[in-house]
Amino acid sequence: MSKYDWLLFLHVIGAFLLIGGSVTAAALNLSALRRERPSEIALLLGLTRVAVFAIYGGVLLTIVFGLWLVSASPFGYGYGDAWVIAALVLWVYSNAAGGIGGKREDETRKLAERLTAEGDVPSAQLNARLRDPVTLALEYSSGLAIVVILVLMIWKPGA
Amino acid sequence: MTVASLCGPTCGAPLFLHVLGATLLFGALLAVTTLGFASMRVVEHGPLLRRLAFTIMLAGVWPSYILMRVGAQWVLSREGLDENTPGWVGVGFLVSDAGIVVLLVLTLLGWLGRRRPRVSTWFAGLAAVYLVALGVAVFAMSAKPG
Repeated sequence: MSKYDWLLFLHVIGAFLLIGGSVTAAALNLSALRRERPSEIALLLGLTRVAVFAIYGGVLLTIVFGLWLVSASPFGYGYGDAWVIAALVLWVYSNAAGGIGGKREDETRKLAERLTAEGDVPSAQLNARLRDPVTLALEYSSGLAIVVILVLMIWKPGA
Repeated sequence: MTVASLCGPTCGAPLFLHVLGATLLFGALLAVTTLGFASMRVVEHGPLLRRLAFTIMLAGVWPSYILMRVGAQWVLSREGLDENTPGWVGVGFLVSDAGIVVLLVLTLLGWLGRRRPRVSTWFAGLAAVYLVALGVAVFAMSAKPG
């Protein structure tokens, strides 16, 4: 196996961790949206930590080995290629939006834990926070940006 | 040489479907594994977690598996790799086609686990093993050893 093959494997495994972790987080968040009891919501949002670990690993592997791949590629790719620049911009956006959305979600989890300790009664405030349009927009747009990056990686327009 | 470079731009759609399906499968299976192990630790919410794991098996794992497998077959037939199959494709075939049996067993265990908590150990364990197998397939598909 050549150096390029190893770099490609580490980059692709990073992509799997990043997209897979995002899918896991989305599945747990959607499950939380359908619950009423604060204890159940706190539990499901708490489990997204597993997904966050996968996402962190994926973020690191994709950028480090992605940039390395561009320079090591035998296909003549360059850092100035439009698809590489577009992917980098989307990667930054996805991380920023996902990070801010994740912090807001963590505040919701803390509220759910507090309400659990206060009797575990369904709360309108918690329901409103779970459906906060800004948080949802940040998280969904972060996921969409990742899918667009995948499109760019497959088609490499202009390469 | 990567599949993408073998295929060229014409291979875009089938390769995209294959990779998208594979990443969604990985994510859905990670969610199922997480819920499976959590149901053993958080006993009071065990029934909810096992029910969710079973729902994600049906609504997430199976559709993404089909997307991955259909995309793979499309790439193979377009590039003629189904007639002269390289070793790394064989690893992919093994993990994906044997995966049908694993996913069927997982679905059965997930269904049984809704009423029998003890089944969760097998369910979570088998899901974790298949997650590792998917990692091996990713290695074979991307690095193409040999």
